[in-house]
Amino acid sequence: MKKIVFAAMIALAPLSAQTVAIRNATILTVTKGTIKGDILIRDGKIAEVGEKVLIPGDAAIIDATGQYVIPGLIDCHSHIAVDGGVNEGSISDSSITNIKDVIDPEDIAIYRALAGGVTTAHILHGSANSVGGQTITLKMRWGKDAQGLIFEGAAPGLKFALGENPKRSGNPTGRTATGAAPAARYPATRMGVEDVIRESFTEAKAYQAEWSEYRAKVARGESPIPPRRDLRLDPLVEILEGTRMVHCHGYRADELLMMLHVSEDFGFKISVFVHGLEGYKIAKEIAARGAGVTTFSDWWAYKVEAMDAIPYNAAILQKAGVLVSLNSDDAELMRHLNIEAAKVMKYGGLSESEALAMVTINPAKQLRIDRRVGSIEAGKDADLAIYDKYPLSASAKTVKVLIDGTVYFDREKALSEAAAKQTERQRLIEKEKQNQQQNRQQPARRPSA
Amino acid sequence: MKLLGLLMGCALAAGAASNDTFLIRDADVYPVTGPVMKGVSVLVQDGKIADIAPKIVAPKGIRVVDAKGLRVYPGMIDSATELGLQEIELVRETEDTGELGEFMPQLRALSAVNPASEHFPVVRVNGITSVMTFPSSGSTGGGGGGGRFGGTERQFISGQAALIHTDGWTWDDMAIKPGAAVHLIFPAMPRAGRGGAAAIETTPTEVAGSAAATGVTAAKRTYDEQIAKVNQFFDDARNYQKAKAADLPGFRRNLKFEAMIPVLDGKVPVAISASRASAIHDAVQFADKQRVKIVILQPRDVAKAAPELKAKDIPIVLGRVLALPENEDDAYDAPHTLAAEAYKVGVKFAFGTFGNEFVRNLPYEAAAAVAFGLPYDEALKALTINPAQIWGVADQIGSIEKGKWADLTVTNGDPLEIQTEYKHIYIKGREVELTNRQTELYRKYSNRP
Amino acid sequence: MNKLTTALLLFCACAAAQTHTAVAIRNAKIVPVGGPVLSKGTVVIRDGLIVDVGENVQAPPDAAVVEGEGMTVYPGLIDALSTWGIPGAAAAAAGGRGATAGRGATPATPAPAPAAPAAATTPSRGPEDRPQTTSWLNAADELSPTDPRIATARAAGFTSAVVFPTRGIFAGQGAIIDLLSAERPGAMVVAQGAGQYISLTAGGRGGGGGGGGGFPGSLMGEIAYVRQVYLDAQHYALVKEAYARSPRGMARPEYDRALEGVLESKRILLPAGRLVEIDRMLRFAAELKQPAILYGVREGYRPEAVDLLKKAGAPVLVSMHWPEPPRDPDPELVESLRTLQTRDQAASAPALLRKAGVPFALYSDGLDQARDLQRAVKKAIDAGLSRDDAIRALTLSPAEIYGVADRLGSIEKGKIGNLVVTRGDLFDDRTKVEMVFVDGVKYIPPPETPPAGGGRGQTAETPGGVR
Repeated sequence: MKKIVFAAMIALAPLSAQTVAIRNATILTVTKGTIKGDILIRDGKIAEVGEKVLIPGDAAIIDATGQYVIPGLIDCHSHIAVDGGVNEGSISDSSITNIKDVIDPEDIAIYRALAGGVTTAHILHGSANSVGGQTITLKMRWGKDAQGLIFEGAAPGLKFALGENPKRSGNPTGRTATGAAPAARYPATRMGVEDVIRESFTEAKAYQAEWSEYRAKVARGESPIPPRRDLRLDPLVEILEGTRMVHCHGYRADELLMMLHVSEDFGFKISVFVHGLEGYKIAKEIAARGAGVTTFSDWWAYKVEAMDAIPYNAAILQKAGVLVSLNSDDAELMRHLNIEAAKVMKYGGLSESEALAMVTINPAKQLRIDRRVGSIEAGKDADLAIYDKYPLSASAKTVKVLIDGTVYFDREKALSEAAAKQTERQRLIEKEKQNQQQNRQQPARRPSA
Repeated sequence: MKLLGLLMGCALAAGAASNDTFLIRDADVYPVTGPVMKGVSVLVQDGKIADIAPKIVAPKGIRVVDAKGLRVYPGMIDSATELGLQEIELVRETEDTGELGEFMPQLRALSAVNPASEHFPVVRVNGITSVMTFPSSGSTGGGGGGGRFGGTERQFISGQAALIHTDGWTWDDMAIKPGAAVHLIFPAMPRAGRGGAAAIETTPTEVAGSAAATGVTAAKRTYDEQIAKVNQFFDDARNYQKAKAADLPGFRRNLKFEAMIPVLDGKVPVAISASRASAIHDAVQFADKQRVKIVILQPRDVAKAAPELKAKDIPIVLGRVLALPENEDDAYDAPHTLAAEAYKVGVKFAFGTFGNEFVRNLPYEAAAAVAFGLPYDEALKALTINPAQIWGVADQIGSIEKGKWADLTVTNGDPLEIQTEYKHIYIKGREVELTNRQTELYRKYSNRP
Repeated sequence: MNKLTTALLLFCACAAAQTHTAVAIRNAKIVPVGGPVLSKGTVVIRDGLIVDVGENVQAPPDAAVVEGEGMTVYPGLIDALSTWGIPGAAAAAAGGRGATAGRGATPATPAPAPAAPAAATTPSRGPEDRPQTTSWLNAADELSPTDPRIATARAAGFTSAVVFPTRGIFAGQGAIIDLLSAERPGAMVVAQGAGQYISLTAGGRGGGGGGGGGFPGSLMGEIAYVRQVYLDAQHYALVKEAYARSPRGMARPEYDRALEGVLESKRILLPAGRLVEIDRMLRFAAELKQPAILYGVREGYRPEAVDLLKKAGAPVLVSMHWPEPPRDPDPELVESLRTLQTRDQAASAPALLRKAGVPFALYSDGLDQARDLQRAVKKAIDAGLSRDDAIRALTLSPAEIYGVADRLGSIEKGKIGNLVVTRGDLFDDRTKVEMVFVDGVKYIPPPETPPAGGGRGQTAETPGGVR
């Protein structure tokens, strides 16, 4: 029994080596074209990429003959790996909450995303309120603890939400458990959504001033009592100071434009419009303010504000000079972002590297981690997905996925592990049955609770 | 450039919309039911395929479509949608699936189909020329009927699903087979151990509320009662049929039972939503007992159920290939391999997307099945001739053969590949416009000054 | 109804307890815990305290003598996290918990006590409303000696419990009590201020969608709230101090009983069932700079969990409500490997923690019947915990964890006269608790109640004479 458990643990431990070489692959670097050749990885970083790379004798070799290597996929918008709810929907400004506090490194969705080539994902609070919670960027290092998943040094973000979702609580439907109509929570309209955001930033500015004054006093040698720390306003101040990203959920062009105005009025930048399905209608306004958009390839019609969604959105925005990425917002969609990228080639005629960029380097830029990940270049993290076929197609599947040069997913191993898990499950089920039978044979006992 | 092509396509289509007689020349024809024919011509007369041969002399004055270097495939069939009945998932007013009532076989999906739905043009530009549209999703728990919209009544038979073309001025026009199946949402035991790690799969309808609270033994009793109820309904229908045949005095017409006669005569199959192995097994038993033809919708436990299905020659409609695994410890690719499993055992299968949002991605779902072990030709069959056979219309659609409707797509490549372009799409010999709400918005906003 | 009858019966049995000022148990095997076992010795209790113990100790002439031949004397057992003595906190609430140990399962918590006032009618709009907070409550103020579970627990050998209000995020402060049937509740209190009980029910309060639920409605909301409260408490203390120094010209700080309660608490109890939660709560405690005790620890059997706890050095309370398979399961229920493993191995946590040197105690977590408690301990023993360590985890260890080892937890001169006297090894199936001393007062457990017709936990076929 011990042996089996031990074996299972070994199987879960990812293959790790100081020096790894991927050989004879077709390498879609995203930023430097396509290379048929090798990738040398040293200490988790890409050391060299080229047609002929000198491979040291001690390198672990991954033979990728006939296979394709792309940068690990980056999902700018996901809700996996979260314990205890992704929405703090009770209040219209929940910026006090932080996904970082509730990372669940044992969520199987992490592993499944990894198997779909995803190596980095930005985990967001939900869209139940106008000002949502703080976000975190994770690497899909399946098997590590919560801290081990965190993308070291990645900028934190704050979620905002516009439109139908945040105003839904203001228009409650149905009944509570007691049969009463649920209490309406401000806001109920898009006007109210704007107001909530403006109110919060107004408060944040006053709070910021209060602290500046305090610091000035301290600097003058006085010893004033510090102002009360307000964990809700802290992240908003960080936005005003430019150290925290704004990820703003929104669909309709009018509300996106509203948020652009709010950002101008308060002097902060919007990193990304999340969804932005009508972004194409105001592509130049978005481009002019330097905001990015992370969108779907072709998901539509699930709600009214998704009726004008078009699969050409990404292409129009891209052509207008907007930094665009494709995201999943969904544990299932997350597993085939390569297919989503392929669709923007079909709809709107983007090039292969433009399409691939939308699930690699573009989201990396949006998340301010592009110096580390998002393309296959020497010096970057060795986060790589290896496919059996041309990856911008639904006919391809991953065979191996590496993070920091370590193989975290290997299809062959995955299948044998799944089989081993089933065997172990059966063993435990049988054992439990036997125990129960033994208990029954013993003298009558009371049920324990 | 591509846009220009689309626009020209529109112009052409508009001019030829009423003309369903033409000749496609010099194409590579993939009939699905036979080997590829290279460089042949296809003659379409009055909407039907009149001839396929290397050299066909163009009848005088006929329109000729030069297809040199292009391929011709039969149009694809999605075997489970709600197209025409559901416009926006979250807006009740736009939904006509999920009527009230326990046994509602008299309901006809066809007559509620909105031919002007924005969904039809969106899906048909991807080569999907016909779909099964169901009176209830049967896939969203509660299976429509009460569960979905707050009622407490459990639904068993949701109505008659229709096989329709994705183009037509009226639903009359669109109909291929008005009552192609009667939809039965098979009773299912609820999952115990809620809140545990086991994913709660709500396909199909769970035994209603109270059962879950009082334990599985009670739930089993409810389940048995419900099965008995369904059997009773079929028995009653059969008695009605006898009474009708005997023309007994005092005989009264009953619309529910009238609708069941084609089912009892074996002319129309019962499409049964059943995902778990036990539900599938019970459904098969039920079919045996009632001597009716059945099709299983969205099975999950294919490997377990396949031998029995094969033995009884019962076909299945697989759900989305890219779906997530049901249980935490399932192999990461469990749903991806269902098609290959069905194929290996020899169970006839087709694909369904079970919803409207992803119908247009039907071919990519099939491609994913290929990536995970399904032979390519079988994937193509599962998109064309298999569903035609399953729904009893193989004499009309599903392949390129003389006498069938000219549901044809002219492409520059493999329809399972995302980059493949559709040059022409014909439904009943009518060339359809390759435009839709989305291409129009694309055009409009691409030209925004 | 039946329960009430049983309770009354038990209560009567207790009331009949003897009240000698001095008692000597002689010629008994003595397991003092923290010292060598005496195969034949004498313990003397006077005025509620242990005054002597040893092999050559003579029974004082005025003492009531208990002939201990064939008996074993242990220190009275301590339930390290409990609601015994806080009435209405029915153990029934534990039912169903432990059936699954999967993801999303709520962390084990004792049954909710009614100590907290009814929930506010207006939903809370943020941390400033101090939602689900009764940090100022003291378990010591909420005691009722008539709680029938006191006698039931005593019959299982428990003489003390660390009891807490358990409702809300900041539920209130615990107290260490003796399980005696005193006239006045104050007599039960051994020490108060056992720590602030924090529960995090992970969205179980129906947050998420908003509308009606009030803040916080998610786990991250709860954690953020706790963090804000500690920051507020710090600031509050600062402002109060400044005001006390020179009130002139300074705005008066608003009295905040929630913060008062938090500031008074010298340690916090944090829920941590899964490995992920153990990791999370250890970090959280470090961040808050609060001495913490983790409770639940369902996945304490996992090597990673043991390592983390060892590194952190934080004591843990392990729930003895071991996860059990679901009753009447769906034949097609697919349980995860983790769930199955947890059921298989949860009871091995104590042994593993012991081996790693992590300070731990066991707690009842809703179990209150002698047999269930015995069986639960036995399960940990079967999974590798030595008998000595099992006893320690229910005596000296909890006393140490709560800083009362100077008065409770072992049979030593000067400590409180809490003893269990058994015939046979404490956790053996056939062992009978002969008598229990609480504060030197002897209680004889009533003969196992013959079921008078199937109340909770009593089925008609259970013969009283199994032992």
